Amino acid sequence: MVNRNTLLAALFCWLMTVVAANAVADDFADENDYYRLVSVDVAETSTSSRAKNWKPAPDGLALEVSGLTVLDDRRVAVAIRKGEIWILDGVYDEPPKDVTYRRFASALHEPLGLLKHGDAFYTAQRSELTRIRDTDGNGEADEYLTVAKGWGVTGGYHEYAYGPKLDRDGNLWLTLNIGMGLKGAELDRTIKDPILGYRQGRWRGWGMKVSPDGELVPVCAGMRSPSGIGANAEGDMFYTDQQGNWVATNSLHHMREGAFFHHVEALASMNEEGSPIRNVKKVAGGLSYPEAMKQFPQLRPPAVWFPYKKAGQSATDIMLDESDGQFGPFAGQLFIGEFTQAAMHRVFLEKVDGEYQGACFPFRSRFASAVLRMAQGTDGSVFVGLTNRGWSSLGTASYGLQRLVWTGKVPFEIQEMRAMPDGFELVFTKPVDRQSAMETSSCEVSSHTYLYHSTYGSDEIQKQNLTVKNATVSEDGLRVRLHIDGLRDLFVHELVASKIRSHNGEPLLHPHAWYTLNRIPK
Amino acid sequence: MRSFTWWQFAWLVVVLNGPVVAQSVAVPFVAGFERFARHRDVDEAVAGRLLLSELSCTACHTSNSNDLKPKLGPRLDGAGSRFRHNWLAEFLTAPQQAKPGTTMPDVLASLPEAERGAAAHALAAFLSSLHEPFPDIKGTGARGVPFEFWKQGDADQGRRLYHQVGCVACHKPDDDYETVETKPSPLDQLIEQLDEDELRELGLSAATRRVPSVPHGNLVAKYSPQSLTYFLLDPHRTRAGGRMPNLKLGVVEAADIAAWLLKDGGSEIVPNKQQLTFSEDVIQTGRQLFRELGCSNCHSVNGVAAPKMSKPLVDLTMATPRSCVGSVQAGLPHFPLDSFQAETLKSALKENRENDSNQRDPLPKQQSEFAMLKLNCLACHERDGKGGVGRYRRPYFETVGHVDIGDEGRLPPPLTAVGQKLQPGWLTRVLKGTGDVRPHLRIRMPLFTDDQVKSLPTWLAQADQESRKSASGKDVFGDVSKLAEDGRQLLDTGCVQCHPLRGDALPGVVGTDLEGIAARVQPQWFHDFLLDPGKLKPRTRMPTFFPNGKSQNPAILDGNADRQVAAMWAYLKNADRLELPPKIQKARSQSYELIPKDRPIVLRTFMKEAGTHAIAVGFPEQVHFAFDAEQVRLAAAWQGRFLDAQGTWFVRFAPPADPLGEEQVSFPPGVPFVLLNESSGKGNELSEPNFDAKKAGYRFQGYRVDKSGVPTFLYRYGRFDIEDRIRPDADRTLVRRLSITDRTREEPPATLWLRGHFGKSLKHDGPFAYTNDVGVSISVPKGLKHAGKMETREAGTHWIVPLKVEQKEMIEVRYQW
Repeated sequence: MVNRNTLLAALFCWLMTVVAANAVADDFADENDYYRLVSVDVAETSTSSRAKNWKPAPDGLALEVSGLTVLDDRRVAVAIRKGEIWILDGVYDEPPKDVTYRRFASALHEPLGLLKHGDAFYTAQRSELTRIRDTDGNGEADEYLTVAKGWGVTGGYHEYAYGPKLDRDGNLWLTLNIGMGLKGAELDRTIKDPILGYRQGRWRGWGMKVSPDGELVPVCAGMRSPSGIGANAEGDMFYTDQQGNWVATNSLHHMREGAFFHHVEALASMNEEGSPIRNVKKVAGGLSYPEAMKQFPQLRPPAVWFPYKKAGQSATDIMLDESDGQFGPFAGQLFIGEFTQAAMHRVFLEKVDGEYQGACFPFRSRFASAVLRMAQGTDGSVFVGLTNRGWSSLGTASYGLQRLVWTGKVPFEIQEMRAMPDGFELVFTKPVDRQSAMETSSCEVSSHTYLYHSTYGSDEIQKQNLTVKNATVSEDGLRVRLHIDGLRDLFVHELVASKIRSHNGEPLLHPHAWYTLNRIPK
Repeated sequence: MRSFTWWQFAWLVVVLNGPVVAQSVAVPFVAGFERFARHRDVDEAVAGRLLLSELSCTACHTSNSNDLKPKLGPRLDGAGSRFRHNWLAEFLTAPQQAKPGTTMPDVLASLPEAERGAAAHALAAFLSSLHEPFPDIKGTGARGVPFEFWKQGDADQGRRLYHQVGCVACHKPDDDYETVETKPSPLDQLIEQLDEDELRELGLSAATRRVPSVPHGNLVAKYSPQSLTYFLLDPHRTRAGGRMPNLKLGVVEAADIAAWLLKDGGSEIVPNKQQLTFSEDVIQTGRQLFRELGCSNCHSVNGVAAPKMSKPLVDLTMATPRSCVGSVQAGLPHFPLDSFQAETLKSALKENRENDSNQRDPLPKQQSEFAMLKLNCLACHERDGKGGVGRYRRPYFETVGHVDIGDEGRLPPPLTAVGQKLQPGWLTRVLKGTGDVRPHLRIRMPLFTDDQVKSLPTWLAQADQESRKSASGKDVFGDVSKLAEDGRQLLDTGCVQCHPLRGDALPGVVGTDLEGIAARVQPQWFHDFLLDPGKLKPRTRMPTFFPNGKSQNPAILDGNADRQVAAMWAYLKNADRLELPPKIQKARSQSYELIPKDRPIVLRTFMKEAGTHAIAVGFPEQVHFAFDAEQVRLAAAWQGRFLDAQGTWFVRFAPPADPLGEEQVSFPPGVPFVLLNESSGKGNELSEPNFDAKKAGYRFQGYRVDKSGVPTFLYRYGRFDIEDRIRPDADRTLVRRLSITDRTREEPPATLWLRGHFGKSLKHDGPFAYTNDVGVSISVPKGLKHAGKMETREAGTHWIVPLKVEQKEMIEVRYQW
């Protein structure tokens, strides 16, 4: 038994123990205070999203939004997964209780995009890009013209075709999902690269553009699940990819001629007429990403990696904030949809040595279901198309349309994160509290990379904690310059600025940022 | 009986139990004990044994009896990451004060006041020094795991979940939470009108009294949002006893519920780490105390020596003053039992002594009853007249969409004779959490520990079945090999009014899907239940289709009731492979079958007959075709019903659409026209590869829909633009109008060859037609026929017809089969 003296000694120690001050009790700031959600139309099904006998809700339209385009200040048009285009009127109303629905087009095979361009709608179906018009003015489409086709459709269900989105030159961009687990007759519809041995449907895993005169041009390759396409403010085209084989985690890529991104089976089409990628004879796999870059000269790093779970689990659409401030303090930045987590992330991009790279930030969570499509309304608010069928997502609904509205309150956020030769410059949405920002321990920085390999996803590897040597604040309090030793190129740099406060004491709404440092500026 | 009614609040009541304990304390709360034993709804012996296991007496006083396995306390590795230091110290100082109802004894009770604080502090310091990272929750396509999800809890959402998914089956609901009103059952209406005496006289006391709630204690003081979230996610990870079951929460759900439970607290993330420092001496003192006080008998901590055992249970009486119960004794843990608990325990010990010498194994019936008391299954499920959702908790058991399916459909199923009803393998799945068949309930059947999953189904089966071996389908129904179709028809007469099948149902029907029922229920039960549902399940909504054992449908199987039940079994056994019952089929077709009524319907899809670029067109005339937009050919046609679109519209795997009708036919492969190199005259172009649209240079350009809804396909072949309109003309007859425009208008005009027909053999069929070996007859207009010629190649014979295109030509071709 413990004797009395020991206990008294323990009591003494207790009295002498220094109890550190309680940690700062952060009130978890609520995204909803800054960006509120309006449900235009959401529905819950009684079957689960992966049920083999999935059924839409018994009432109403199965609004599984797979394409979304804003028509004017009353209406949006949506493509839905069952293969129709609908025009919804009254969607900006609050509450949106008098929305009317009109079917415009039907008989589309899993359309996964929608664009209004000129007097026509464009959508990518499984087997073609289609231009749809109502020529007799009765409000229903009567012309479904094939703008482009010719990519392989083996019948494997992963072979989605996404798009189109328009670039500054009037080209329509499409992306073609890689085929997975092809079998039986599906294999008869593949082509094979004789050297590497990969078999895929033609142009599977490629980014394509269709020129204004209708020519289908293969541009870049190595995509896995490129469900999001979008232009940045300069009109350069990007796509998002999703974690899986050869894809370490979700990513954002600049599509340009001849670029190869990661999924090697796309190389099955390398020798097809028009391919801008040739002569890949060997694939470097099982290496760290920086090492693979050295050994696989065609490989181009993503502009942004989205660390898995931390910044989503399945990136989808890309939307440029063109509202010039009506959507808050992020004009000109990209917003990225997130399927599994029913969320949205934000991306800041800059060019270093002529190549895009940048940072991603959490932005908004708790959409009613998987976010697949986004489009900005005429008032700057953002329409968000939801559907989780076939996979899974957080949220209470199975599909629908929501609208994300800026409340006018500016959140305290890291607006921009720029690479510097010896660290980063952070730009904030509000002036910082100088003292907290100058404290070098206010920001934790670490870096990691990934494995480039054929297996599904990658852990974060070669992780290193970095020390902030010095932090200085600009006169206006909006910029904080972090001087950091040991930056590594081709590594993702994680920043946690949890102790920085705004001039009126708020913590950051989202203290995390992940910068993909492909190149360290000189 | 009545004298005990006040005991239901006993854990709140000040108990003066001997001269030493003079402060007000609560008493240990054991759910099964409070609900049943206090009212003598279980035998005293059972009640006492329940205390022996739930107070973990046998953790120190070993017993051979397996069912007396101690519940034990939580594993304490990582306690410092999970619990706030101050709470640990307070709890150890006075367990029943810090957490009223706790089953942990006061291990410091016999220390003088001053030392008690120091000992509690040392123990708490030791426990706070034990850190363990929270497990990494893998995110997958099926599982969204937001970054730092425990920080994102939404208390409002958590409150809803807490009241919907099952927390309130055991814990206290929020008084202000409003449920959606449900219609009270007739029995409930009756009960509302009776007073307590009347209820007692009717034997309804047990069914109508308020069921005490398992107390939470001060969660804000104890947990951080992170540690409570992780606990809710997987309670068994730290509490192997499994009394708190796993409600299969997603990470966001767990964070939301934690946020609600902690709504009044701060939001510190980690309770202790890096915030508290203790001298190594204090920690070591605490470690020593932990071992010496016997804490490790109930709480495992890595590296702390094996527990020290006390007197075996069989030698235990409470007659001596040196007891854990009663007055506080130096060196012994103290259980502040009230006198009813103490008396119950005493008699259990007595019984244990006597039984031990008899070496009597408990019967399966006793084992199952005991297990269900321990696990509080009875909070939700009634068995043998005991338990079930209490009167005041029923409103929290809601259906998805608030459909009215009565209490029977809304509440968790009763488990009386469940061993006769369910197959043990299925029951195992249910306990493992993979046997959910009631998606219309908000409440979730939780998941239990492996240990529990292993034993309970067997006990229930043995307890409820008269014979050891359950009767097989063959024993019960005999040969059912030819009965499935009769069963399908029989299902149509009643079952489908309330039960979905394979996810399909009549409009508005919500209930348990009958798919897989043959793998869930016992054949004998199925037989008996169908013949007389009320006998096995009093007050069931399931009507009898066999009043007095007689079938109402003499037309099927001669009205033989047994054979009819057998037929339904036969059908349901293989329902996944058989056609749906006619009424469900009809309901399904209303949702997904494309039925052209006034206008044609177009569907782009995958089809076996028309490839991955198929465009199927259905006509009100009940003659339909599929066009292959990749090979630019009329691919197939059929009659009758058109297509079921569910696969195309709503199935992830993009299955090919199958024609529903009959008289299906495939047309010859290849493009409609070829250009022949007239100068060579060899007709090489007729060899197979040149029918491939891509190689032949065809370009499909889409279609236009005319006022009547008929699509006209558009394609380009060399200098020609072709419009192709196909529509039915009569039964098994399509007429195809091909309009060809020469874009170039060059001279001389070119000759296009219509690929009129192809087959292994072609024979004349009237003056302008040929029929091939699969029975397709194709005819061309009179004027063209004579110019046609036959060309035989290895694969078969071609009938080709020349067409001189001067700017614009039109030709009508007729297909019959």
